[in-house]
Amino acid sequence: MQAEPSKISDNDLLKAIARGDEGALAGCYDRYRLILFSLILRILHDRQEAEDVLQEVFLQVWRRARDFDESRGRAFTWLVTIARSRALDRLRASGSRARLATEAEQEPHDSMGDAAADAVRSEEGEIVRRALAELPAEQRRTLFMAYFEGLTQTEIAARLGDPLGTVKTRMRSGLMKLRELLRDRSVDSL
Amino acid sequence: MEHQEYKELLAISALDALDGTDALHLEAHLKTCVECRGEISELRDAAGLLAHAGPIQAPSEDLRARILADVRAEKQSVRPSERLSNVMPIAKPPKSGFTTQWLRIAAILLFVGVGFVLLSMFLVAQREIGKLTREVEIQKTELNREREARMEGQKVLAVIMSRDARTIQLAGTQTAQTARAIFVFDQKSGRAVLMTDGLPMTSTEKAYEVWFIPKGHAPMPGKVFTVDSSGHAMITDQMPSEAMKDAVIAITVEPKSGSAAPTGAIYLASPAS
Repeated sequence: MQAEPSKISDNDLLKAIARGDEGALAGCYDRYRLILFSLILRILHDRQEAEDVLQEVFLQVWRRARDFDESRGRAFTWLVTIARSRALDRLRASGSRARLATEAEQEPHDSMGDAAADAVRSEEGEIVRRALAELPAEQRRTLFMAYFEGLTQTEIAARLGDPLGTVKTRMRSGLMKLRELLRDRSVDSL
Repeated sequence: MEHQEYKELLAISALDALDGTDALHLEAHLKTCVECRGEISELRDAAGLLAHAGPIQAPSEDLRARILADVRAEKQSVRPSERLSNVMPIAKPPKSGFTTQWLRIAAILLFVGVGFVLLSMFLVAQREIGKLTREVEIQKTELNREREARMEGQKVLAVIMSRDARTIQLAGTQTAQTARAIFVFDQKSGRAVLMTDGLPMTSTEKAYEVWFIPKGHAPMPGKVFTVDSSGHAMITDQMPSEAMKDAVIAITVEPKSGSAAPTGAIYLASPAS
């Protein structure tokens, strides 16, 4: 029996994909193509490369869905982890990280998408954006450098010319605060 | 590193931003700390939400169809049994051809190595078995010799201790002047014993032969024997009934297979009665 992708949870969607349900994969794509493509594009800054990576990501989801363990985290985290890892691998392979560095550190609303994309922007996404906007700029910048460029704490300290301890504190405080803000705004059920 | 120090690394780890040995130490700590495992899981979920930070962009409309076409093509090339998610695979397929190739080479080398060791062990064992078999044969021969010697000794003793025993002295002839011998026989059974001393050793082609020469009869052959370097020999024999009452006993040198009638020189002889 085929699953009904639009009505089932993320976990059940992945279970259906693990059973070889193409419809479930199509449903997963429909549900997450925008957020995953946007993430990949923000890392790579190249539409063609981002589409290639997104294709690889969904093939990986198809092949590895049975590896997902809901006791170890949310399906959404599993999906974005795959997408981010693939995109960062592509970025490192292309050796273009230095070129993209300044772009990745930009504030999210500095480069808004088109009207069509705005229309499909999720409510959850807006909550996250507002939460990020409440963080001190240096904390936010440090989080973005780690998340979108794949830089380590030492690399970030070197890039910014700040002491390592300061960078560590910013990263830790930023992520902890983000977690608290998201808890307050009931995004944990995402 | 203390628990609290590990806790301070969790957020950085959730962003994959740890470097140096911190990442390794934390990984080891997470295996044993339930609290930290729970916290890093939450922090990873929070880090994952950073994916929402960027502007929303849509991929090409045809990408969905391309992905599904890829999936269908892959599905057709994969056997149905490999996609049954409710059947847990016993072993995951190898992750890469490179690894598989090395595993195969390692397996072949292991197989050859084990084969070589087994073959060596087999050959060593065969040599040992051969050696032991030869030793057992030697021991068996020795035991047989000892048993025969013991039986011979018992026979000699039985003859000498017999109430009907008669002893005859044999003296060396001109050919072997220092030689001498004692001949003891049971006058009832005819069982006899000959003990020599001072007889010269014969060549390998020759041996001594005992002769019983009853009065008025042709010499009757007895046993053929050799002596050691001291000229000693002790043999048992069965005396012919014709020789038991009155006979001369003589020792000659004959071909080692023995003769039907004496052909060589007389070395020892009993006095004629």
